[in-house]
Amino acid sequence: MKAVKKLRSNLVFIIVSSIVVVLLLFSTIVSLIGFFIFSDTIKSVYANTTYHMALTATTLVNGNNIDTYLASGGTSVDYKQSENYLDKYCDRMGLTLIYIIKVDTSDYGSFTSVFNSVAKDAPYTKWEIGYQRDTTNQEYADTYKALYSGEIEYGTIYRTNNLNGAPPHITTLVPVKNSDGKVVSLLCVQRPMQELIDSIQPYLTNVIVIAVVLIVLLSVLSMIYIKRQVVKPLRRITAEAQRFASENKSGEKMGADISRIYEISGLADAIDKMEEDMLVYIDDLTTATTEKERIGTELALAGKIQENSVPNTFPPFPERKEIDIFASMSTAKEVGGDFYDYFFVDDDHLAILIADVSGKGIPAALFMMVTNILINDMTRMGGTPSQILEFVNERICEHNKAEMFVTVWLGILEISTGKLTYANAGHECPALMTDDGEFKLIKSKHGFVIGGLEGTKYKDQEMTLKPGDKLFLYTDGVPEATDSDENMYGLDRMIDALNSARVKDPEGIISAVRDSVDDFVGDADQFDDLTVLCVNYNGPDPDNSRTLVTDAEVDSLPEVMSFIDGFLESVDCSMKAQMAFDLSVEELFVNIAHYAYPDSDGQAEISICKNGDVVSVTLKDRGIPYDPLKKPDPDITLSVKDRQIGGLGIFLVKKNMDSVEYKYEDGHNILTIIKRI
Amino acid sequence: MKIDHIVKSGSMTVTVSGRLDTTTSPELESFLDNNLSGITDLTFDLADLAYVSSAGLRVFLRAKKAMTGKGGMKLTNVQSGVLDIFEVTGFTDILDIES
Repeated sequence: MKAVKKLRSNLVFIIVSSIVVVLLLFSTIVSLIGFFIFSDTIKSVYANTTYHMALTATTLVNGNNIDTYLASGGTSVDYKQSENYLDKYCDRMGLTLIYIIKVDTSDYGSFTSVFNSVAKDAPYTKWEIGYQRDTTNQEYADTYKALYSGEIEYGTIYRTNNLNGAPPHITTLVPVKNSDGKVVSLLCVQRPMQELIDSIQPYLTNVIVIAVVLIVLLSVLSMIYIKRQVVKPLRRITAEAQRFASENKSGEKMGADISRIYEISGLADAIDKMEEDMLVYIDDLTTATTEKERIGTELALAGKIQENSVPNTFPPFPERKEIDIFASMSTAKEVGGDFYDYFFVDDDHLAILIADVSGKGIPAALFMMVTNILINDMTRMGGTPSQILEFVNERICEHNKAEMFVTVWLGILEISTGKLTYANAGHECPALMTDDGEFKLIKSKHGFVIGGLEGTKYKDQEMTLKPGDKLFLYTDGVPEATDSDENMYGLDRMIDALNSARVKDPEGIISAVRDSVDDFVGDADQFDDLTVLCVNYNGPDPDNSRTLVTDAEVDSLPEVMSFIDGFLESVDCSMKAQMAFDLSVEELFVNIAHYAYPDSDGQAEISICKNGDVVSVTLKDRGIPYDPLKKPDPDITLSVKDRQIGGLGIFLVKKNMDSVEYKYEDGHNILTIIKRI
Repeated sequence: MKIDHIVKSGSMTVTVSGRLDTTTSPELESFLDNNLSGITDLTFDLADLAYVSSAGLRVFLRAKKAMTGKGGMKLTNVQSGVLDIFEVTGFTDILDIES
């Protein structure tokens, strides 16, 4: 079956068998047409000669005497003579029968035999004169009638079947007329058709033999031609195509002379050309792919480096209970231009920053790395956020050929007091949750972006974080996150998401915001880098801080002193530092006792806390606003005579402490002193 | 704070021990106000004075002013912590201090 199937789909087989079928059909049709024309011609010639034989036979009989012959029963000499002529004529001309009959003209249904000559070897019995018989069939009856009426000159009847053992024959009938021209009887000549058949047979044989020879010859020729010009070239092309597909190497050219058929030589040519083009293309593609892979690997590595250039272990300062921080940065491409950072400048000061470089991808990432390192280094060297940003701006502007810029929010949080000093270089306003309320944006004046303009000045701004306050920083990737319908996420949604998670820790808050952004964006691609940072200020570490509230009177001083000493002794403070704190706290507390409440009694709140090796003390009172630091320092070079008796207290505080700051906030005088112990 | 004093023919040695602060210095101040008459040579023995605040400095400055023109005043056995305070405030320039 398989072999048959294969044969059926073989090109040579299909073409040759089609040719054979077409030729067979053609030769059959031509033979049939030839056969019919030939046999028609032979038949008409045959019928014509038979007719002339019959005409000749009529001359042997005298038509005037037919009735006389019948009446006398054929005994006359005249009859015998005619009968003798007819018998001889029948034999010599190779006829089977000659008979003359008188037909009953009433219905042509029967006739009476007049003469009847039978050839010697014919299988017939002679009819005697006067023998009556029914007409053989309707064809004979119709012919009889036509002849008697003179409609036709003669009739011809072919008989090839229903012969009851007689051979196929042709019967020609002619009328026998008397001298008046009246038809008196019919003379019928029966001639065998063997001669006719004998002459048609060889014709048929010849036609068939010639057709077969032609078919075989044409098949073989076309088979050879197709094999040479079609099949072999096609096989060669197929093999070449398969070889090329598996090897992908150039091979021997097939060339256009593979076949004389234009379509096939064209195909070979096209495949040759395709191989050449394909090799060039494969080569290009391989180079491009290798290059792409290399860039991909490098980018992935660059992404890793960038990811690790910002702090990403949480919690970052497990030993510092005063703050919780969490941050997340996800870039739109492998590398990005956002960054955040947080680090302790000293034991009491935490720097927090978030920044967004203009643009995305590699240029932004390079710019980001430079800025990140600059800000980090500058912050560690000290200074306020505005000073740091101004310096960084100068440095960036010096080499900013690419006209890139970066927005930065930089804050420094004093852990012991919650004081947050910050400056904003064109960055988004952070959100703050304070007093267990809701998150709100801190709208403050922005400075210009960093890298934008040489000599830009920034302004420090301050606020005080209370224990439990949460600060949320973000880049514009959050409000500008876009869904598939080009809608922006916006600040309102961000604030809602923040408030939905306001009681959670920074990690929980960030995950709430990120989930909210992800839900909003849906299937749309992340368009911009997205960075968020959240700080929770827990207040001074309770293990390292204490607070005393006492009457603002000099009598409370021993209580205050033992409170301060008790704390400092518990944290292994040096004697010298302890004295410095004693001295400073005494001066400040006595100041409050003397001046804060001139007309009434009041209280003072003293908090002390230790962060690392830094101790800070804050004194608060609700008295009249008074900044003792404004008082000019005493001139300590004057002689005894000129020396003022008072005024040394604040001077001593300034001399003994690393930092002394005063502010008036919410009806409180707040004085903070800080010293490394 | 504890104040002891020895007077010997116009010269007085006052031993101040403990803490000389806002609450205690008025005591020293009134002691000096009451005992300086006829004294031409005043010596403070501060061997056991652990602490002095501006209120204490004020007392020393008043004493120095009071003694000016009457005779000498010196501070002896000053501990380093207290000495630091004297130095910071410029008192070492105007007081006669022996440590």
